Amino acid sequence: MCRARIRLNALCAFLLLMVACSGEPQQSADAGAPSEKLTGQLTGQLTLTGSSTVAPLIGEIAKRFEQTHPGTRVDVQTGGSSRGVADARRGTADIGMVSRALNADEGDLTAYPIALDGVAMILHRDNPLPALSEEQIVAIYTGQVTNWREIGGADAPITVVNKAEGRSTLELFLGYFKLRNEDIKPSIIIGDNQQGIRTVAADPNAIGYVSIGTATYEASRGTAIKALSMRGVEASLENVRNGSFPLSRPLHLVTLGAAEQASALARSFIEYAASAEVSDLTEAQYFVPLTQ
Amino acid sequence: MADRIATVFMWGVALLISAVFAWIVGDLLLQGLPHLSWGFLSTAPTDAGRAGGILPILVSTLLILIVCMVVAIPLGLGTAVLLSEFSRRNPLFGRLVRYSLDVLAGVPSIVFGLFGNAFFSLYLGMGFSILSGGLTLACMVLPLLIRSSETALRAVPDDYRRAAAALGLPVFTTLWRILLPAATPGLIAGLVLGIGRALAETAALLFTSGYVDRMPGSLLDSGRSLSIHIYDLAMNVPGGESNAYASAVVLIMLLLIINALTFRAADRWLHQRITAV
Repeated sequence: MCRARIRLNALCAFLLLMVACSGEPQQSADAGAPSEKLTGQLTGQLTLTGSSTVAPLIGEIAKRFEQTHPGTRVDVQTGGSSRGVADARRGTADIGMVSRALNADEGDLTAYPIALDGVAMILHRDNPLPALSEEQIVAIYTGQVTNWREIGGADAPITVVNKAEGRSTLELFLGYFKLRNEDIKPSIIIGDNQQGIRTVAADPNAIGYVSIGTATYEASRGTAIKALSMRGVEASLENVRNGSFPLSRPLHLVTLGAAEQASALARSFIEYAASAEVSDLTEAQYFVPLTQ
Repeated sequence: MADRIATVFMWGVALLISAVFAWIVGDLLLQGLPHLSWGFLSTAPTDAGRAGGILPILVSTLLILIVCMVVAIPLGLGTAVLLSEFSRRNPLFGRLVRYSLDVLAGVPSIVFGLFGNAFFSLYLGMGFSILSGGLTLACMVLPLLIRSSETALRAVPDDYRRAAAALGLPVFTTLWRILLPAATPGLIAGLVLGIGRALAETAALLFTSGYVDRMPGSLLDSGRSLSIHIYDLAMNVPGGESNAYASAVVLIMLLLIINALTFRAADRWLHQRITAV
């Protein structure tokens, strides 16, 4: 590995030389410093990075923002909530996208909720079990129960689908069930929501968890999954909005430092993203807007 | 009898491979073609890619590929010539370079992506840009390009070199008029492989050229490549499958067209070289 790194360094030096010779590049990372003209019109460029759950939504909001505020540019990148936090801290991004509440050690950031998302436990549609208690889910994920027969289902081994480290759905799931990732005995580890849907839809003995918007949308399209009720509350967007669905999460935009330290452009974008003007976009991405 | 079993086995294997290929392409065409239209190729994506087309993404993809190849081809060819023609007096150096290239060729693409993000995007300040993505891809395909070009050059018989030397041809003329034309088929095969790898790359581009699906205004703009678009639609956007399929069909067609053009350009170049002498 060390050798490989030396070689990479040699390659770097080579390429650096080449880039230097070609007289490029202009600084573009700092071009994000927005300026407010005397007229009060916003101009400049914003860069957002973070949660892959939030990125498609923010991408759409950014397009509308650019249309209503000519002269602005909003670039949306992806990579996960942790990356959003890291990039906002490092200044690589003006705003981070985080699909969970901020952790205790993230007090240096200010979070602005823009929408809600619920996490639903999903089973294959043909699984005869109508619902699972929280104890049963914990027992399945910790490997105490490994066959559906033990909890009243068919005689078949359970395929436990877990999310990969760093995914905010995983963190929400672990936090809600008070589990640690080391305790979980997964059969399959997946990354994105769509992958979770596919895995469970293809395996009648699978159990997994994905974003509620994705689950209800896929179920309505006839994908072979069903979302489980939690504590007797049906997994629906309506129940996330009225706060009765227990397994839900806020989607946040975050900036470094106190709210006043963010640039005028960043603040106005954040305000716009949480406003009723974009609630149709939020719903179109199967999330729940904060304001109707 | 043993011969017959061997024959059946060979045919079986060949058919199996063709069947897998046909299945993949057939599935793609079946699911993708109904969504493919001129409008799909000529408009920008809307609703996170579920609706609209892929024009800006197509443009970004081609720009990334052009940056990659403009950098990788001269560097790759130069290094290959150095290795095959000029490293004979210093075999240790040649072996060292070759060994490092082989190590680099085996490095997973996500490592190149992280390197590109750290070096081009952050250290050199290119940010998320097509330039940064293209240069990262160039780093990734260089080992492949160099090794295949070197093999092609080495395959040229030494008699050619001796004959050229006996005629008193300058080294450069030997190279330009004799060795490179003779090695062209091998060079092109390597180039096509490199283009294929670059076009298919997702991991290395996610953190370098980025996710923005706007029409790029310059090489310093972030631009989403087709492969990332397909990945995002298939994995991250509920209801994005049909456009993911259509984009995949476009990607495959793009690859076929570029390959055909490359072969054709090589033929023409070869023709000129030989008739001009």
